[in-house]
Amino acid sequence: MLNNITTALEALPALPAPRRAALDALLKQGLPGKKDEDWRHTDLSILDQLSAADIAPSALNHDYPSAYEDGLDALNTALSGGTQTRTLEGKVELDTGLHQRLKLKVSGDVELVLQDITPSRFATFFAEIEVAPNSRLRLLRVQQADSQAQRLTNLKILLARDAQLDAVTVDLGGRFVRNDLYVHLNEPGAGVQLYGLYAPTGSEHVDNHSWIHHRAPHCSSREFFRGVVSGSARAVFNGKIFVHEKAIKTDSETRVANLLLSKTAEVYAKPELEIYNDDVKCAHGATFGQLDEDAVYYLRARGLDRDMARALLTQAFAQEIIEHISNDELREKITQRFLSRLPQGNTSGKA
Amino acid sequence: MNMLEIKNLHASVEGKDILKGINLKINAGEVHAIMGPNGSGKSTLSNVLAGREDYTITEGSVTFGGKDLLQLPAEIRACEGIFLSFQYPVEIPGVSNMVFLKAAINAKRKHQGQPEIEAVDFLAWVKDRVKKMSMDIKMLQRGVNEGFSGGEKKRNEILQMLLLEPKLMILDETDSGLDIDALKIVAEGINTMRSPERATLLVTHYQRLLDYVKPDFVHVLAGGRIIKSGGPELARELEEKGYGWLDAA
Ligand SMILES: Nc1ncnc2c1ncn2[C@@H]1O[C@H](COP(=O)(O)OP(=O)(O)OP(=O)(O)O)[C@@H](O)[C@H]1O
Ligand SMILES: [Mg+2]
Repeated sequence: MLNNITTALEALPALPAPRRAALDALLKQGLPGKKDEDWRHTDLSILDQLSAADIAPSALNHDYPSAYEDGLDALNTALSGGTQTRTLEGKVELDTGLHQRLKLKVSGDVELVLQDITPSRFATFFAEIEVAPNSRLRLLRVQQADSQAQRLTNLKILLARDAQLDAVTVDLGGRFVRNDLYVHLNEPGAGVQLYGLYAPTGSEHVDNHSWIHHRAPHCSSREFFRGVVSGSARAVFNGKIFVHEKAIKTDSETRVANLLLSKTAEVYAKPELEIYNDDVKCAHGATFGQLDEDAVYYLRARGLDRDMARALLTQAFAQEIIEHISNDELREKITQRFLSRLPQGNTSGKA
Repeated sequence: MNMLEIKNLHASVEGKDILKGINLKINAGEVHAIMGPNGSGKSTLSNVLAGREDYTITEGSVTFGGKDLLQLPAEIRACEGIFLSFQYPVEIPGVSNMVFLKAAINAKRKHQGQPEIEAVDFLAWVKDRVKKMSMDIKMLQRGVNEGFSGGEKKRNEILQMLLLEPKLMILDETDSGLDIDALKIVAEGINTMRSPERATLLVTHYQRLLDYVKPDFVHVLAGGRIIKSGGPELARELEEKGYGWLDAA
């Protein structure tokens, strides 16, 4: 296990002691396995299929932590060469195609776009983002890697008093993708609005896990995900809301809706709630369905062919998420990419 | 000129026979009304003509302009000039009426080998028809039939018909649930479309619509068959006496 990682790291011109320690921590702790509830549907053993050349660890060295949360944390540290710290201002774009480990500070209004700039077979992108009081982070994460790519992202976002996070995440590619998102509403008045779209096709696997922690009174969270799953693709969504004891007047809603476009597509979607006080307003729900055949017929009865009718309905479904992307150019590109990946022809969900 | 010819049409759904030998000939320029008890197969006939695939045709034939209609998929039938105004129009949230109407018009143009409609022409064309239907253009920004009242949905059907200019208009209870003003608007919409080149098949339960849109023929559909045909006076007789006296015959 993980020989490819070791080989790739040992091929670097230099492997400083703390980086070697990260590798040792990884080898000792191993990666989460199927017995771990959060990894039930996503099997990390696929990483073994990467060649040492695919691993492409960073040649740079930054700051190394003294301990690791788990094997993945150690993996990302070893591959990225440790933590880089940055203060973000204005509009920023960061490359999710490289192994990176970032500690970011946000104050004021910041627009952050996370997307692949470097095309790569494998990347682990971990970032911890601190949002200062009364600041706003607009985050757009777009994943449209090719159908061989493997991606692991891990975002931890800590919100101070009255800080806001407006996030849109889009997954339109990748052979194997796992996105972990932690949001900590640490002080009163903080809020998060999260919109996510995943649309795996072919044999892609996309897993979005999120944990939203309400740790202070008067915080709000909205999490809306939509999935469009076709071919033999598999999508996993798990959105967990924790309302801690002190977090009275919490207002939270999680919804996930899935459209299955083929009989071989698979979806595991589960919103979860864990509440430790009773002065809260929490709602959640998950739906799974196929295209409305009555609507397809209605459109066909007006002259639209079957593919067009299905594309229009599918686009309408995804639009509920895509419309929250504020950047016009990116929104248009993402819409086109979404449409270009839709299955054509005889993929009716009906028998 | 003969437009539609239905011969001994049998159709079933989920193994249940619904149409049991329909014969009907419609010439260009004619208006035919079909009346009949609930569940007698009126909507089934309308949908079989429009190309809904839930039904199995077990016997018979339908020709439209000389072509074998039953071989054509729904969208080609629409492009060739068949229009069904749905008894229950479908709500399609997220697909705006404007996008939908333009797609429908362009699908037909493409079928006829014409280029896509210019944006300005489309807008002018829609605005004119929207006014005829006394609708608010703002409604067209919304999703197709999304949150429309029953009457608004029916008006939206006729609006689509005015824009698509079909040859055969099949109106399945377009008059049901309309207030008197809306009924007049819908009837006017139908009447503006009447021409020697077009034909109309009106499915209705009420004489009220037939006062505005005068039929040439009235048929009674019961138990999957046309059990009686006549002129406009038959509709009045049905309104007075119901369907019971026909069963006895
Ligand atoms: N998809 C279907 N599955 C099962 N039964 C159906 C289906 N469509 C129609 N039927 C049945 O076929 C029969 C005829 O229905 P249809 O809707 O054609 O009647 P109708 O004459 O239009 O009635 P109404 O006046 O109430 O509109 C009914 O018994 C109905 O329940
Ligand atoms: Mg009916």
